[in-house]
Amino acid sequence: MQALKKLLDRIIQRVNINLRELGFDVSPYVNEIIPLKQMVKFYAFYGITPHHPLNFQFTHSNLAGSYFLGKCRVTNSLLYKSDVRGDELKKKGAVFHYQQFEIPITRDEQIDIEDSFLIKTLVHNYSHDPETLEKFFIKDTISMHYANIHGSPSDGCFLGPFSTVDLTTMHDCVVGTFSYIQAGEISHIKIDPGTVWIRSPEKFNFLYRYESNLLNNYINLTSGNWPKGLLFDFVEDRKKDFERIFALVNIDPPRSVPGSASLDRYAVIKPHTNISENVLVAQRAYLENAWLGKGANAQENCYIINSRLEGYNVTAHGGKIIEADLGKKVFVGFNSFLRGSPDARLTIGKESIVMPHTIIDIRDPLTIPPGHIIWGLVTNKKDMETNSMPISEFSKIETRLSMGNMIFEGSGASFISALQHRIEHILEANGAFFDGAENKGHAQKNQSISFNTIQPYPMGELKGLYPSIIIQP
Amino acid sequence: MAAHGNAGSSGQLNEIQFSISKQVLIVNNFIVKDLMVPLAEYATVQEGSTLFEAVLTLEKAQEEFDNEHTPYHHRAVLILNRDKKVIGKLSQLGVLRAILHDNERTQQIEDISRFGFSTRLINSLREKYRQEEAILDDVYKKAVRIKVEDCMQTPSEGEYVDEMTSLDTAIYQLVIGKHLSLIVTRGDKIVGLLRMSDVFAAVFHTMKSSELSEKIRSEYAGAEKAS
Repeated sequence: MQALKKLLDRIIQRVNINLRELGFDVSPYVNEIIPLKQMVKFYAFYGITPHHPLNFQFTHSNLAGSYFLGKCRVTNSLLYKSDVRGDELKKKGAVFHYQQFEIPITRDEQIDIEDSFLIKTLVHNYSHDPETLEKFFIKDTISMHYANIHGSPSDGCFLGPFSTVDLTTMHDCVVGTFSYIQAGEISHIKIDPGTVWIRSPEKFNFLYRYESNLLNNYINLTSGNWPKGLLFDFVEDRKKDFERIFALVNIDPPRSVPGSASLDRYAVIKPHTNISENVLVAQRAYLENAWLGKGANAQENCYIINSRLEGYNVTAHGGKIIEADLGKKVFVGFNSFLRGSPDARLTIGKESIVMPHTIIDIRDPLTIPPGHIIWGLVTNKKDMETNSMPISEFSKIETRLSMGNMIFEGSGASFISALQHRIEHILEANGAFFDGAENKGHAQKNQSISFNTIQPYPMGELKGLYPSIIIQP
Repeated sequence: MAAHGNAGSSGQLNEIQFSISKQVLIVNNFIVKDLMVPLAEYATVQEGSTLFEAVLTLEKAQEEFDNEHTPYHHRAVLILNRDKKVIGKLSQLGVLRAILHDNERTQQIEDISRFGFSTRLINSLREKYRQEEAILDDVYKKAVRIKVEDCMQTPSEGEYVDEMTSLDTAIYQLVIGKHLSLIVTRGDKIVGLLRMSDVFAAVFHTMKSSELSEKIRSEYAGAEKAS
């Protein structure tokens, strides 16, 4: 196990060097958080499809329980139960549009993870940085449980549990627990836990900050300890179901699904679940008594329990929906936690937008009318007054608005338009609009996928390390 | 006569020109020591003093200030330890900063600027907060409670300058370091303060002298040509 220990020490040192200016020491958060013996237990696996380049390079790394798809390179890194999903990387010959530039892509884009430690992290999408279009790098970075690195190259960063960095290049940053950042580029900045920040310079700027005493009930991280809180307990309580799925080499589909839908073999599907046409259920999604209408999707680390989604619903990575009824085209952003109960169901009207990292946790029934935008922490009807608004009203903001813990500046119309455009793009990419011939997306393309597994050295000096492997056609 | 008169005028011009040129030369050759305010003339307080005591000391120093020497009043108080060594500087800005509310709410408002919001938006949040709690309501209570060492600025290495340093070099040090004053040393000892206001006055004086010198020179050249 010495090799793994040395590797971990090396990664900690490299990240600390990058974060020295912020005075942030990652050691107490990372050391012994994952017992190294755990990292020998699990196999890694990769997907093979005719739709994505087959090009994996793994060197001097541990990949315990991690999944890879697309063109990926992992060097001197520890990846624990992480998903590196390269099915949206740019392809050679494509053209990237940035401001007035049209930049040709000269080779297939690669996810390049080096000197990093990712714990139960999702890596997805593609690099939006015009300076590094063919390399989506993650370097000298540590990310904690259920973090999302989405289209965000990273160098010298620490990401707290349940944090998301979306379409943002980051250098030497600390992103706090349950924070969501979409700001284009950030550097040398420490973001407090529970910060939701979406900025497009000259267009709009949205900021919501959770009150720490309230957020701590849901998720918090202190040095030397595992993450704590309701969110963490919620996913940990269902861990065993995933272990069963991962332990089986061959698994029969739990039930028939329409030909145009995709149900990943590494998803947990409990009884009374309905999958309609063009539905996408990604690996590590959890469905229990869930009704997914046409074109709905459940991405990685999503939990949909005792709920009904009418169709064309996007439930982004890490979204959790419990005891709820969602109308058509309701968007639920990254890591959101929507929890009703059998006696107090949550109803969200069609075409509403639940912003990333929103928590709706109710004791009494709550109905959100159609066409609303919701953010932050909502526990009752009164909270809705400061944490939601009709989309049509939000679009009328021309200067600024401050409501509760949210402040907004810029054009509301531009903000809403950007969100709606993105939702359409996600539906399109996921294959929600497939008509039997045209508009294929992940739901259709991911059906023809097979998985291979790889294992680490079981003992000896290199125990825990995976052998250096190059996998190409 | 005319030629003689011209010759006489040109003789006078040469003397004035010489005098002004000399002044410019003197300013150009200034060293820090020539412009500094000696430590003894500066407002100082002992560590452990309150903010209010520091402000009173500053006021007294301003009243006693020699207006003939320079039109610029003192704008800071130096903090001395028991050994009479300078351990910090409390500027007017530092005093204002010290009386600001410092609680979770105000920190949150100020923190917002990190996220790229406009000053207008941040001011609107400050105005909203001001309606609940204005800064000046309890300013005296704060001033007698806060100790100077809690709000003073500890000089950085770039804020010290030797008394024999040329004015040119000191100007660089002020500009590059964005300092309002430099602490002047003689060996290990602190002997005074070089204030930006005095340096600016000297530079301005040089500008004006140079302009006058240029005018006289061109007038003289015109007169020479005419003769």
